[in-house]
Amino acid sequence: MPLVYPLLLSAALFGIGVYGVLARRNAVLMLLGVELMLNAANLNLVAFDSWLADKVHGGQVLTLFTIAVAAAEIGLGLAIVLALFRAAKTIDVDDLEPTRPVGDS
Amino acid sequence: MTQRWMYVAITAAMGLAAAIVVWPYLGDDTGTTTVWVEGGQLLGVGLSTHLDSLAASMVLLVSGVALLVQIYSTAYLADDPRYRSYALLIILFLLAMIAVVVADDLFVLLIGWEVMGLCSYFLISHEWEKEPARAGAVKAYLITRFADLGLLIGIFVIGASYGTFRISEVVAQSPHNATPIALLLLLAVVGKSAQFPLHTWLPDAMPGPMPVSALIHAATMVAAGVYLVARLYPVFLASATALTVMALIACITMLMAALFALTGSDLKRILAWSTVSQLAYMFAAMSVGGREAGIDHLLSHGAFKALLFLAAGCIMYAIGSTSLSAMGGLRRSMPWTFAATTIGLAALAGIPPTSGFFSKDDILAAARQSASGQYVGTEWVASTVFVVSLITAFVTAAYAARVWFKVFFGLGKEARDAPRAMTVPLVVLAAVTIALSFGKQVHWEIGVLTSAITVVAIALAWWVHRGALTTPAVLRRALRKELGLDIVYGKWIPVVFNKASAATLVVDADAVDAYPRATAFASDASSRLLDRFQSKNSQTYATVLSIGVVAFTVLVAVWS
Repeated sequence: MPLVYPLLLSAALFGIGVYGVLARRNAVLMLLGVELMLNAANLNLVAFDSWLADKVHGGQVLTLFTIAVAAAEIGLGLAIVLALFRAAKTIDVDDLEPTRPVGDS
Repeated sequence: MTQRWMYVAITAAMGLAAAIVVWPYLGDDTGTTTVWVEGGQLLGVGLSTHLDSLAASMVLLVSGVALLVQIYSTAYLADDPRYRSYALLIILFLLAMIAVVVADDLFVLLIGWEVMGLCSYFLISHEWEKEPARAGAVKAYLITRFADLGLLIGIFVIGASYGTFRISEVVAQSPHNATPIALLLLLAVVGKSAQFPLHTWLPDAMPGPMPVSALIHAATMVAAGVYLVARLYPVFLASATALTVMALIACITMLMAALFALTGSDLKRILAWSTVSQLAYMFAAMSVGGREAGIDHLLSHGAFKALLFLAAGCIMYAIGSTSLSAMGGLRRSMPWTFAATTIGLAALAGIPPTSGFFSKDDILAAARQSASGQYVGTEWVASTVFVVSLITAFVTAAYAARVWFKVFFGLGKEARDAPRAMTVPLVVLAAVTIALSFGKQVHWEIGVLTSAITVVAIALAWWVHRGALTTPAVLRRALRKELGLDIVYGKWIPVVFNKASAATLVVDADAVDAYPRATAFASDASSRLLDRFQSKNSQTYATVLSIGVVAFTVLVAVWS
């Protein structure tokens, strides 16, 4: 399989992820955008690993590592969103005043 | 009482100290310059004095008149509630005047000059409960301050042209820029010495106490202008324009002021106009090269005009008014005042053997000499000065005689002569008036001519006094109003200023304010524009950032 297909898919995923982070106002959906970007990177790693025919499969190992980190990160991110929701009764980022400490109403 | 004599003692001590210092310099025409504090690199203004015969005689005149005025005031202002400030201001004035007289550094002179003006202001408004005193003080201050700008700028021009602010060094150099410097100094001098067209403040300064008028507005401060011209005489001599202007101003002033004095109805105001006229004589002398004559007249005038003002004070003390109509027949009841005033008026009219005769004689001789082309100045100017001086001598004799007849002759009034503290200064000044004429030369033709003129003038004044002759009513009315020259200052200048300030306001609102308003608009618009980017929305920031990254990457990819 030529390298360009996974790379195109990866670029598309990354673009969707960027769009999600920039355009969505819902904090959970923004986190999903971040995950999409991470997984686009993972896809690149795997594609290059296979294309380079790496003996030690460094790309796949690094991908597993990234998935673990991403899992931890999304757990932490969702916890923050939950705390935000408890404090501000909303997770719409436009309704959150960046200059004022949350909960100080 | 003791406190009042304390001020006399202070003035006497100062006068005596000054006299001892300056005495050896009398008759020393070259003079001695002493530098007390060397000028710094930055300014070049130091503290230095220059003493010569001229300065020494001025110091003696000023200290002497100030001392006599202090003695006189102990009786004249015996019941004054503000005697302390009055006496101290006179002492301050004395110090300032001495500073002007002995200063070699022009800035020291300027300081003394301004302090004199300040003392004049305070002393004119000594009785500030009265409206004319306040108005007169403000007027005097405004006019002289305006004129002093000429001195300040003139000093700057001198510093720029000669590279020094020391009078002795300026005079020693060959003159540069003489005309602008002389004209600027002339402005200051015209203001201080109340010459046309800045003459109107002096008669209005008369609500001040009589001794103040005698000291400041007759004998010393107003003569400081003449003194300044004498000190910087080489600069004036180098400029024919300035000399011509000075001569014309002097001619206009002397005749006009003498005519005002002739028709005046208030003794003090007559004396004020007479002072203006006599100061013009000094300037006339200066303008035709008669420096010595001008200075002689300054000294003799200082003595006899102080005498006349103090005598007028005695009369006012006795009858409580300075109006001529309230006086008459005082020669019997006030013998001392009568005798002293007679000598003073004789000196004013130029009757020998008083000093006024000799100094006026010198001035006329200088004018004639200059008119025949023997000395500085244009001939026609000198001829004009000569003729106008003769006419003014006639008018002067006439008004002096008129005052004499009106005050001391005619119907008698009951009055008592002033106390001794007031009459003794009169006697001293009368003695000085005569003593100053000792050893003077007479130019016989001119002396005979002026004497004849004086006799005719006195005779005419006698006929007018007896009612045998009347002056035309139109002329009298015009002169009574003093030709309405004050209208120029009182009405036209405010109108011009109001118009100018209204125009300035329009320009300010329409032209100048447009720039700040446009600036405000521009900054407001640009801040609105920039506000779009400062949305506090991190997603917008991130969007712009990613667009930038993409654009940058594309650019790099395309170009490489």
